[in-house]
Amino acid sequence: MKKKIIATLLCACMAATAFAGCGSEETTDQNTDAGTSAADGTEVSDAGTAEDGEVVKLRMMAYNAESSRASYLKYLDEQLPNIEIEFEFVSQDNFDNVLNAQLQAGEGPDIMELGGQTRLLANAGYLLDLSDQEFITRYADAGIQPYTVDGKIYAAPLQSWYEGIFYNKTIFEENNLTVPKTWDEFIQLHKTLEEKGIKPQTMGAQSYEPMMKQSIALVNNEFYSDEANKDFDEKFNKGEASLAESWLPAVQEWYKIIEEGCLTQDMLGLSYDQALDEFATGKAAMWQCGPWAVETIKEKNPDLDFGMFPIPGVDADEPGWLVGGPGSAFAINADSEHIEEALAVLELTATEEAQQELVKDNAGSSFVEGVEVDLGEIYTDCEEAFAAGHVYAPWTAVWTNGNAVTEGYGKSLQEVLSGTKTVEEALADADEINKGLLETLE
Amino acid sequence: MIMDKRKNRTYFLMILPAFIGFIILFIVPAIMSFGYSLTNWSVYNADIDFIGFRNFQKLFQDAKTVAAIQHSVVYAILITIIQNVLSIILAVLLNRNSKVTNFVKGITFLPAVLSIMVVGYLFQYIMTSADGGLLNSIIQFFGGQPVNWLGDSNIALYSVLATQVWQWTGYTMVIYVANLKSIDSSLYEAAQIDGANGIQRFFRITLPLLYPATSFNLLMSLIGGMKMFDAVFVMTKGGPGYATETIMTTLIREGFNTGKTAYACAFAVVFFVIVFVFSKVVTYFLDKWEGAIQA
Repeated sequence: MKKKIIATLLCACMAATAFAGCGSEETTDQNTDAGTSAADGTEVSDAGTAEDGEVVKLRMMAYNAESSRASYLKYLDEQLPNIEIEFEFVSQDNFDNVLNAQLQAGEGPDIMELGGQTRLLANAGYLLDLSDQEFITRYADAGIQPYTVDGKIYAAPLQSWYEGIFYNKTIFEENNLTVPKTWDEFIQLHKTLEEKGIKPQTMGAQSYEPMMKQSIALVNNEFYSDEANKDFDEKFNKGEASLAESWLPAVQEWYKIIEEGCLTQDMLGLSYDQALDEFATGKAAMWQCGPWAVETIKEKNPDLDFGMFPIPGVDADEPGWLVGGPGSAFAINADSEHIEEALAVLELTATEEAQQELVKDNAGSSFVEGVEVDLGEIYTDCEEAFAAGHVYAPWTAVWTNGNAVTEGYGKSLQEVLSGTKTVEEALADADEINKGLLETLE
Repeated sequence: MIMDKRKNRTYFLMILPAFIGFIILFIVPAIMSFGYSLTNWSVYNADIDFIGFRNFQKLFQDAKTVAAIQHSVVYAILITIIQNVLSIILAVLLNRNSKVTNFVKGITFLPAVLSIMVVGYLFQYIMTSADGGLLNSIIQFFGGQPVNWLGDSNIALYSVLATQVWQWTGYTMVIYVANLKSIDSSLYEAAQIDGANGIQRFFRITLPLLYPATSFNLLMSLIGGMKMFDAVFVMTKGGPGYATETIMTTLIREGFNTGKTAYACAFAVVFFVIVFVFSKVVTYFLDKWEGAIQA
């Protein structure tokens, strides 16, 4: 008897939870139709376009955190009342893997944030061709170029991104230090700070990214600055040129920073968040990162007075370089059920107002023509570099297999810092990965 | 006879739903994976062609794959031994019914309730090389030198292993405790009358009769160790360099991040073979042990 009662109870529970599931789904689907009856049972999601008053849910997958898009998302929400954006953050480490799996299963997001993977995805037919859209013409060519594949445009660029060295202005002023003009001065700066008992540079080298970017900044300075090397990236894409041959002198120059003990092995045990903490709390004088970290730094320490300078090269007369480029971009899933709504979002994004909202949380220049952006005081030391166009990141701008190659290269640099690999070997590893991936595309 | 047949039929009918689920969700995908591993299927490549064993060939030419397999095997063997030795000791020591031992048992089991993500994230802060990392502060308090737990390629794998031993020893212990309860106390009394000391009683009575729990726990820790993914992913991302890459982290990165789905399938097949062989070897020795106990 007892068993029967328990069984009945459990069944009731199961049924109740099952129905509860249905119930909540229905309410979210129709949450705006409060006035009309919710009992008609039609599902919003299967309609191709939204009729009056109905809300369409768009899934937006991105590798920049929601906090770096907060004002923009709020703006979209206000301007497009019949579109509800479900923002889905997936960290960069995992982004390709999650996105690829979803696209392959035909369940990709409606709008996705893309960078270096655009060419691959466009070639595989996952992205909607935006070439004929009116709003695309509002963007400057420089912003569109990385997202143009075989003459067709597949994504609309967001604000530019760049990474330089954040420095604590208070520490610099107290110790009469100035922004370094050459790589040697930069290394010397570390020593001066060290002598004064201040940790010069912190780095979350547990991630493969910071060393990879810092060394590429030197490659920007010493290799890409030379007109003669402009076609290197295209050759690299075809497997006709190798990093080990072309980049080696520049990366060896970068390696001085390890040789001189400015980057240390204990940085391999630091995560991005921990490095940010060290800089924000004034424990370290410098940290290499970009505008997306600014909001978090200010949250952790509203009083911190800090600026950013570009990564200097050998020549003191040339302004340094930043690693960066046209920002990531929004692309539309070609198989999306809500292409019209997704286009409406991109259309709105290409307006001056939306661009200003974007820049609020993540400072960068806009690629929409005629939109002037005031980057703010933090970036005064970078102005010269910006003016000279010294912002570049080959792997997002041109490389076909950018993400995989830079990840492998960055991981090998971790081994360089551990002392188990040389710079040559790290570059050769990256070449190897590129070659392997090019083979799979044939 | 007829009754038996009918009983059998009912029995098969009863397990049929689970069996169908098992086939659709496990056997079929596993066979499909093997099929895909012989193709060049990639996210970025629309045409799928049969390419024979080329994926497997590439797999074993890559030093990263071999290193990852090595890491996983070392990790699995170490965690199996350490975790089981510790939990048998704990189980024997705590196999009493008092308030204190029950409390200690509860505490030891508690980490198993936490998510690996949470544990990994916490330990990233505990083991950090930044100033004020908990573990290093303790070491320095006693006059030691700080250790780069997660950033030193020689010890990072063992740091991750330590956190997992901490998390799962209590869980294994509970299974041993349950087994201990089933051992007849008259055996110990008889041994005591015969003059056996504590160590003799442990090796002659406790350990052989712990056979059921041991075989289960050994297999589970071994397979769990081979599958190691989440803790590494949270704590070190496979780094520094490739020092803590395991089979699973490499499979995800080399296979899925770069869109090479077929390559990932080939790796999964290799992984299946490794785990299968390992489990077979262990069960072979466990069977031998069981035979010896019964003889």
